[in-house]
Amino acid sequence: MRDVAIVGIGTTKFKSRWLDKTYYELAFDAAKMAFEDAGIDKDRVDSAVYGIYNDFFQRQYQPDAFVHDYLGLGLKPMVRVNSGGATGGAALRIGYQEVASGLQDVCLVLGVEKCADTYNYELQMATPEVLRAILYTADMTYDNPAGRTAASGFALAVVAHRDKYGNPTEEQMAKVSVKNHFNATKNPIAQSPKVLTVQDVLDSRMIVEPFKFYDNCLYTEGASAVILASKKVAESISDNPIWISGLGASVDYVMPGNRPNIYTFESSRLAAKKAYEMAGITNPVEELDLAELHDAFTGTEIMAYEDCFFCEEGHGGDLIDDGTVLPEGRLPVNLSGGLIGCGHAVGATGIMQTYEVCKHLRGEAGERQRLGARKGLVQSIGGTLCTWSICLVLER
Amino acid sequence: MNSAEREAWYRYQHEKYGIPVEHLRREFEEELSGKNPMDAPLEIPDKMEVVFKYSYGGQSRFFRELRENKALYGAQCPECGKVFCPPRSHCHTCYQPTQWKKLVGTGTVEACTVQHYTTSSFIKKVPFVCAYVKLDGTDSLLMTNMEVDDVAKVKVGTKVKAVYRELRLGAITDVYFKPLD
Ligand SMILES: [Zn+2]
Repeated sequence: MRDVAIVGIGTTKFKSRWLDKTYYELAFDAAKMAFEDAGIDKDRVDSAVYGIYNDFFQRQYQPDAFVHDYLGLGLKPMVRVNSGGATGGAALRIGYQEVASGLQDVCLVLGVEKCADTYNYELQMATPEVLRAILYTADMTYDNPAGRTAASGFALAVVAHRDKYGNPTEEQMAKVSVKNHFNATKNPIAQSPKVLTVQDVLDSRMIVEPFKFYDNCLYTEGASAVILASKKVAESISDNPIWISGLGASVDYVMPGNRPNIYTFESSRLAAKKAYEMAGITNPVEELDLAELHDAFTGTEIMAYEDCFFCEEGHGGDLIDDGTVLPEGRLPVNLSGGLIGCGHAVGATGIMQTYEVCKHLRGEAGERQRLGARKGLVQSIGGTLCTWSICLVLER
Repeated sequence: MNSAEREAWYRYQHEKYGIPVEHLRREFEEELSGKNPMDAPLEIPDKMEVVFKYSYGGQSRFFRELRENKALYGAQCPECGKVFCPPRSHCHTCYQPTQWKKLVGTGTVEACTVQHYTTSSFIKKVPFVCAYVKLDGTDSLLMTNMEVDDVAKVKVGTKVKAVYRELRLGAITDVYFKPLD
């Protein structure tokens, strides 16, 4: 396999609605920024990988073909990836394969998502209809008719984890919410910058037990892109390449009854383990300078501390209590604000997380810069109780 | 658009999408009155819809037993003995075809939560319990929403029993669960 570098990055703002852009217009904005950042013309790209999650959100099946056309990349090969919340990470993995295999030298990996064009006319809001569109990705025969949501699936896992290990507590989850909303105040692309107190989070209305309003990410529209290149090309066109030094993936049984338990996300543990092995990391808290974890919910961020081996299984809650994951801690988590603070534009999210880590490794993260950052982790997960998991280690 | 054209627009959209005219009027009055600039984003009603005559394939008997006989069945692997509910036609470990096995219809809550917010299709039912139930005699988990007066009554370990609806449609919702007390 050949070494693969990220030589260009771009992202739109993450917003609750881009009323003035379609999905392919959002994709165009992110791609243009990434090409400009890389200092290359679009025609330098050999292939493209598009991470787009929900066809209802785009109001279009096979939306990848229309993105490809709009970007003017006709006749170049491309493929669309859809792996739930992990779509962005999964797209990066396919892009990595394109270049590492030697098949292509330069590959555009772009994630884009709309969502708030769906609408519930009676309630005059998008969210219940957004959730309805998502529920079509639950098993249609046995799961969808039960009316569960992505949040209730993850809530079931968090409750099971709490029953087994006594954490995450509601206070620990609230602290994660405070941290991520605050981190977002330093991120110019973030959707939900907010200065909250633990009490504000605890007092917010219940969504699905134990998640209150501020324990959840919001739905987001946006697009993010990176340009991947082989070592030879990277060294000829870039003076600040970021290397993908570790990559791990695992996909669990989507029917949780086929798993040994639901209080841990085995796919997430395996993805992290493989990524660390490839990158030669043995002590992630010491060796990583920052991590962007998939905090769709505060409780699952705490589970992710364990899944990414920042601590022993069952001790995730300790890391928010002792400050390890705070901006000034030993291993800051979600300096971007994460999904809770920056937003969750599903197909784009894993690529936004990658964009964020690249910003720090390049020393371009402004107010939120992790000083001297050399190595960072991206965790991208999704699907029913964390079916898909992808982890990437990035280095400068 | 003049007022007659606007009314015709509301009527057409109402008939096409089933959106009440008063909702359409609330959302689109400003737009249809021509108050928005020509370059402003233009929104319109739309819907993605496909109608099915869906086949349950190898799982057909499960739904026919449910509808005709008010009975729950699992699917057992003859090699490892595991019983699946939701049923499956093949064991994913042994790759053997499974055999039908009648269940007693009781079970235990393995994981549960209470939903206070949900999708358009279910939002009028909140709060409701959403749970994974392990049916007695099976080795897997069935997702269900539970109908209880007091959502706090359902906890991990709560014993439940199947209740069958009067009008059974041949869907998993023909059965629901209640605490066994
Ligand atoms: Zn078997």
